[in-house]
Order: sequence, then C-alpha cells, then structure tokens
Amino acid sequence: MKQRLFSSSPMQFFPLQTSQIMLLVILATLPAMLVSTWFFGYGVVLNVLFASLIGLLCEAAICRIRGRAVRATLADNSCLLTAVLFGMTIPPGTTWWLIAMGMVFAIALVKHAYGGLGQNTFNPAMAGYLFLLLAYPLDMTSWHLPVAAQDFTSTHSPLGWQGLLQSLGCLFPFLPVLGDGLTVDGLAMATPLIESKLAAGNAIRAAMEEGYGLFARRAETGWELVNVAWLLGGLFLLATRLISWHIPLSMIAATLVMSLLYYSPSAAAVLGTPYLHLLGSATMMGAFFIATDPVSAATGSRAKIAYGLIIGVSLYSIRVWGSYLDAVAIAVLFGNFCAPLLDRLLAPRKYGHPGFFAKLLGNISRRKIT
Amino acid sequence: MIRQAFTDLFARLGSTTRRGIRPPTLRESSLRSRIMPTPMPDQLLLPLQDYADPLAREHDRIAPCVDVGDWVAKYQLLAKGKEPGSLRLHAPTSGTVQAIEQIPAAAIGQRPQLAIRLLTDTDERELPLEPPSDYRALAPEQLVQLIEEAGICGLGGAGYPTARKIRDAVEKNVKTLIINGVECEPYISCDEALLRERASLTVKGAELLQAACLADDCVIVIDNAMPAARKALTLALQGSSISLRVVHRRYPAGDERQLVKAICRREVPGEGHPPDVGVLVQNIGTAVAVYEAIVHAKPCISRIVTLTGSALLTPKNFDVPIGTPVQHLLKLCGVDDKEHEFTIRGGSLMGQYLLEQSAPIEKTTNCIIASNSLEIPEWETEQACIRCGYCAQACPAQLQPQQLLASIRSEERQQTLALGLDDCIECGACAVVCPSRIPLVSYYRAAKEIHREEFTSHEQSRHWQARFQYHQYRLKKNQDRAQPRKAVEQTVKEAQGFSRDQARMEISAAVERVRRRRQALAGGKDPGQEKSQ
Repeated sequence: MKQRLFSSSPMQFFPLQTSQIMLLVILATLPAMLVSTWFFGYGVVLNVLFASLIGLLCEAAICRIRGRAVRATLADNSCLLTAVLFGMTIPPGTTWWLIAMGMVFAIALVKHAYGGLGQNTFNPAMAGYLFLLLAYPLDMTSWHLPVAAQDFTSTHSPLGWQGLLQSLGCLFPFLPVLGDGLTVDGLAMATPLIESKLAAGNAIRAAMEEGYGLFARRAETGWELVNVAWLLGGLFLLATRLISWHIPLSMIAATLVMSLLYYSPSAAAVLGTPYLHLLGSATMMGAFFIATDPVSAATGSRAKIAYGLIIGVSLYSIRVWGSYLDAVAIAVLFGNFCAPLLDRLLAPRKYGHPGFFAKLLGNISRRKIT
Repeated sequence: MIRQAFTDLFARLGSTTRRGIRPPTLRESSLRSRIMPTPMPDQLLLPLQDYADPLAREHDRIAPCVDVGDWVAKYQLLAKGKEPGSLRLHAPTSGTVQAIEQIPAAAIGQRPQLAIRLLTDTDERELPLEPPSDYRALAPEQLVQLIEEAGICGLGGAGYPTARKIRDAVEKNVKTLIINGVECEPYISCDEALLRERASLTVKGAELLQAACLADDCVIVIDNAMPAARKALTLALQGSSISLRVVHRRYPAGDERQLVKAICRREVPGEGHPPDVGVLVQNIGTAVAVYEAIVHAKPCISRIVTLTGSALLTPKNFDVPIGTPVQHLLKLCGVDDKEHEFTIRGGSLMGQYLLEQSAPIEKTTNCIIASNSLEIPEWETEQACIRCGYCAQACPAQLQPQQLLASIRSEERQQTLALGLDDCIECGACAVVCPSRIPLVSYYRAAKEIHREEFTSHEQSRHWQARFQYHQYRLKKNQDRAQPRKAVEQTVKEAQGFSRDQARMEISAAVERVRRRRQALAGGKDPGQEKSQ
C-alpha cells in the first residue's frame, strides 16, 4: 500500500504476461509437433522433452551462479520455448549428449553469457542447432527413424510401443531397450531446416506419382503437411497479434519472389519450384517461429520488413547457391547480425519530426542554397 | 494456466490498437446521475504557485493580494501574477483568510505548495458582477481581457492560462479552433457530463473563443463512445457555423497533438505547439468557463470533477468549488472505508496516487478515483524486456520505447535524446501494454529529471566559468592599468613629507565647505545626493 503510493502512472495494465506469451507460442507449435510425430515417430517428442529438461537444468544452474531468482527465471517459459524449437529442428533419433551439448550451448553461451532473456543478440535455438551442425554435420543430417516410419509397408506403426522403444534407444543408446532384435534404420535426409539440395522434393514427387496419399506415412511426403502445420500455428500467432505480420510476410514474400525470379522448368531439379521453396522445407517454421523471435529480431515496422526480406533472400541464396546444407538457421542468424543496425537506420519517423527522406531532401536543398 | 493464458489473450485482443490503446471505458457509473452542486465545505485550500518558488512555471506564479485575517467576498480577487496574461485566483465563496501557508505535496513528484486557507461562512455574500450589456459587441481583445480577468486556465489538465494561449494563437494567425471533448481516460467523464447537460453553453463558449482567437472555423471533437453527448451537441449545434467531428475512441486521442493530426491531418512540430500549424485547441470545460466569464462576468471559481471508483457508493460528477478538499467530496459520495485503499487524482492512466486526502481540488483536477486492489490491481513485478515491440505499436508519439529503455538503462544521453525522450508525452500507453510489466513512464520521468539536472548544472558551470574568466580579464586589465599608475605613486611618494596638522586643517576646511553648501541649498534635496557630489 505504502509502496504503491510512490509508484508512477499508469496504474492499469493489460493482461497477458511475457510468460503467458511464451506459453502460447509453445502451444502454437503443437500442430507441427503432432504432424511430425505422426510421420516420424516419437523421436521428435523425445527430443523436445529431453532438450527441455537439459535447458531448464542448465538455466537453473546459471541463475544460481549469476545470483538471479531461479524460480522466476524458469517460470518465464522462454527456456522451454527455446528447447521446443531446438528439439524440433534437430533430427529425431539424435543421441542424448548431442542434444545436451546443443542446449547447453544455446542457454549458457548464447542466452545467458549475453545477459539473459532479452539481451541475447542471436536466436538461442538456431545458434545451438548451428553449433551442432558445424561440429557434427553427419549426425545432424542423418535421421534415425523407427523402421515403421520409413517402410510404409510395415505392419507396425511408428506410434506403437515398438516405435517408442526404438526412439528411446536412439536417444539413449546405452539403454538395453533395443534388445529384441529391433533395429533402427539410419536415413540421411533433410531435417526441417535442411534442404539437402532438393532431394526431398523429388522424393515427394516420386511418392505422389506412385499413388500414395498425403497422409501415407512416408517421411518424404510428410514435409508438406509439417509445413502446413507450422503455417497453422503461425496463423494463430498472427491472428492473436502475438506476432506482427511484418517479418513472416516479408520473409515469405522474399523467398517466393526469389524462387519465381529464378524459376525455370528445365532447372527445377537444381533451383526448385516456388512451391517446394515454401512448403517443401522449413520456410514456414522459420518465418513464423524462428525469425519472429522478438529478442533477436528487429523491432520497428520498417526494420522488421527489411529484416524479413534479408532473411528471405539469404535463405534462397544459401539454399540454391550456397554450399551449406542448412538455410533457415544461417539466414536467421545473418538477420540477427543485421537487426540492431536495421533498427537504427530504419527507425520509425517520430511524431512531429521529418522522416528519413524529408531529412535527406532537406539536407540536399540546404546544400544547394549554401 | 493455459486457460488463463487464453482468457488474457482474448481480453487483450480487443484493447490493442495502433498508436494508442483502447482500454475498456468505465464511465457509466459516474454518468448515472446528473452533475451535482457541492455543499460548501468549512474551509477551502486555494493553492498558489508562489513567486518565491524558483521551480514554478513562470505563467503559473501568482502572489496573494489579500492578507491573513481579511474577510473576502465571493468572486473577490485573491491572487494574481505580475506578468500580463498570468493566472488569477478568485474566492469561490465569502469567508475569512485564515492562513497563507505551505501545504504538503499532494502526490509524489510534486512540491509542497503555498496555499490560501479560506474559512468559509454561510452568508455567501458576493461582489456584484458586471456583465457586459452586449457581449456580442465586444472586440476580440476585450474578450481576451475578460477571459484573463476571470482567471481561466486550460481545464483539461495542463492548466495553461487561456488568455495567454489565445494571444499566442492570435499572434500566430490560427485558422482553426478545436474544442476538445475527446475523453480518453477510462474513468473520467466530466467533459461528457458537461456536454450532455450544458451542450448549448459549450457551443456558445466555443463561438466566443472563436471570436476571441479570430479563427476561420471551429470544430468540436468528441469520440464515438458518447452517444448521449453527441445527441445533445447535434441539437445545440443547429444553426451554428461550428461543425462536429466524431473520432474513434482511442487513448490518448484527446491529447492536443493527436487531435490536431486527426482533425487537420497535420503534425505539430517536435518542439512546437498547435498554433505553429495554425490550430488552437481548447477543452470543453474551458469553453463553458469562457462563456460564464464573458456573458455573466463570472470568474472561474469552480469546475466539474468526476468522482468514481469501486469504493464509492454513488459515483457522480460534481460542480466543485476550487479548493475543496478531496475528503469532503469522497464523503459526499459515500465512501466505503473497508473498500477504500487508495485515492487517485486524475485518471487511472495519467493520474497520481494522492498522498494526502486533504489535498484540494485545483483548476486542473478532473477526476478523483477512490479504489482498491480488486479494481486496480497492484503493478506486477518487472521482468526482462523481450523487445516484443508492443510498446512501439502503442506509442502515439511514434517512439520506440524498447530502444529508449535500453539507452536509458545504459545512460547514453545523446542516444536517449535522439530516440525522442523529449517527444514522450508520458501517456503511459507503452507501460499499459508491456507484457513484462516494465514501468516505462517511471524510467522516462527519471531520465528527464536527470537530463534537466545535468542541463542546469551544465548551465551553471558555464555561468561560473564565464564569471571566472571575466574576473581573470579584469585582474589582467587592472595590472595593465597599473603601469601608468606608477607616476601617481611617484607623486604620492614625493608628498610623503606632509604634516599632520596641515592635513587636519585641510579636512576641517572641507567639512566646513560641505556644511556651508548644505545650508545654502534649502533642505529640498536629500543629503545622499549631495554626498555623491
């Protein structure tokens, strides 16, 4: 009461806290998580769960060291969101120590070493993933899926208990769960973020031609649906104004324009089709969930549009002409590099002050007079 | 937890808008009854901005022109400023001046004020008012003079003397007069009540204001959340040249600069005022006060104040004499002591928590909210800024609060100013929408205060530096002058051999001379002048 008298206006505030925003974004990833699980088995969920566990432990330890309130920091859900996004980008069936390493890198170095929530220059999930990709490229491009998830003729479902055991066995190779002669197949293929030079697209076409339905459990055909699920979650975020339209729209538009510009039917196998660029890879996830991470993104409307365009163009460039396997993570990190500068250069015009162009014109005219 | 998140999400959705916020209106309860007259309290506290107070704004500074113990009549002038166009204070009722004293600061961020304590009597004897026989025949400057004599200031909240504002506007040749009836704070309903009940007076006041400021056209602006006021105003505006504009409800649409942009599609330059773009903005309450001042020659001794909040049994609008203590009004509304935790003066978005229940209603006080934590929950703990940018979306001045916060925290003064700290109108929209509950306005106020202090200390050091340099210059000049003085010193040395007696004789002769001359001049001139001769 006494303390309240010394506080300043305003006295009212709108509901919805930062922790609730994080929670809602996590919920918005659910469709994608469900679809991924449907196609790829429990590996995705296990990834997310294990990454969350490691992330929370790591953050708790760091808060202890930094002398911050442990409970309050963990309760802001930001670490969980990082873990969810990280867990869904790395291939299912990744070994536990890789996940732990990536998560510790993301939380300890990328987030807390820069000052904690709100201070990090780079997106922790993407930086963590990129760290693993650079250090262990082979592990990050091979998916260990339950047998049933790859062989659609299999009578087992990857969602059955055997699939769960197989996924667990992948995560913790030291567990004796794979005892009954169950094996896990390794498959080198595109992760959500990896384009694998458009091999997936060809596979999809082949599968469609062979007459499999969209929901037939074939890893290759799953991509479109996973992307649609990400899009759904993204539209939810957009509709509830948790994110603004600027970044996703400009990023998707840039990708679309680039792929249209360079599209030629004869070179589709190399350059890909616009459809493939939007739905055949991780574009939707990147546009709605990764690039819109407010901490590391640009904040002004104009800066956001420029940020989205930069990510979109570099996304396409890296995919088609670059030598790196991954596109979204690198493009987003590149965008993160640009964000502070964009915020400064493209700051919104203040009320009652000349804008950027008016100032420019004013300078020019003044120069002419003198 | 998840359900709560969704509830909060949807509760928030309807309230967000660009360049402002749209908080739910809470005016209904106080608009249920008509504007009520206030029974005169036993004593009134009439605050003065003291002349001795160096921090007071120049146009606010007024000095009392009555003494302790004087009996004053209703409408009698109590205090006025030295400069032309400054504010005046009149007695709201007859009574005895009990004291002229310091009263404690009403809220944090304010200073103790000098105030006249007036013991009211029940006679209410008043000075005869002398209304002009035909106010339509008055020249514009005469109108402004009447407004000045009535002691009217902006009743919307800023409190700038109206006469001054009009003169400034005339000087700058304004084209448009905007009468501001846009109520954007969720609780305040005094302007709406005034429009409902006294729409015709508002229109007449607006016409007089237009005549005084020589504007070509006049617009009354209200928002779309007050249908009853709109109806009354439409009726009152029949046959008038004044037009009515209805803007969408948005906080802070009632801010001068926002209004100018909404109506005239022009922006007021950063350091300027609306007259710089040919617009004068006046409040509804001011228009009514102007009508009273010119047609009835009645000084500004009362204003409409909204009393509301869940701790009050019957929230309503009062016509309150200036100087009435807040507690007197609360009692009139029936305050539930169990429910009453704190009192807010002004709205819930730009007001202050009252430290003293005995604080008086001033000319700028538009609302008193008596409330509790159930209605207005305590501010939650501040969390880290995640740069979500909701604040930038809500900022009516189109600033970037998230960047401002970062540069204030890192004490980068130049960057803070470049980001437009001085353009901030402290409306608080950014803090309201902040999901991390960062009290952004507190940060801005603190930063502004620090900058002001730095500026004054900088100015002071410059001043003293100049003084010191002048001192050095003078020393040097004296030294230079000392060269030819050597000759003088020489003669003094030569005259060293003088006798004491001779000196005495010379002195007595001089004294005698003076005495004689004084006698010669018939005592008309004062001796001081002679001495100087």
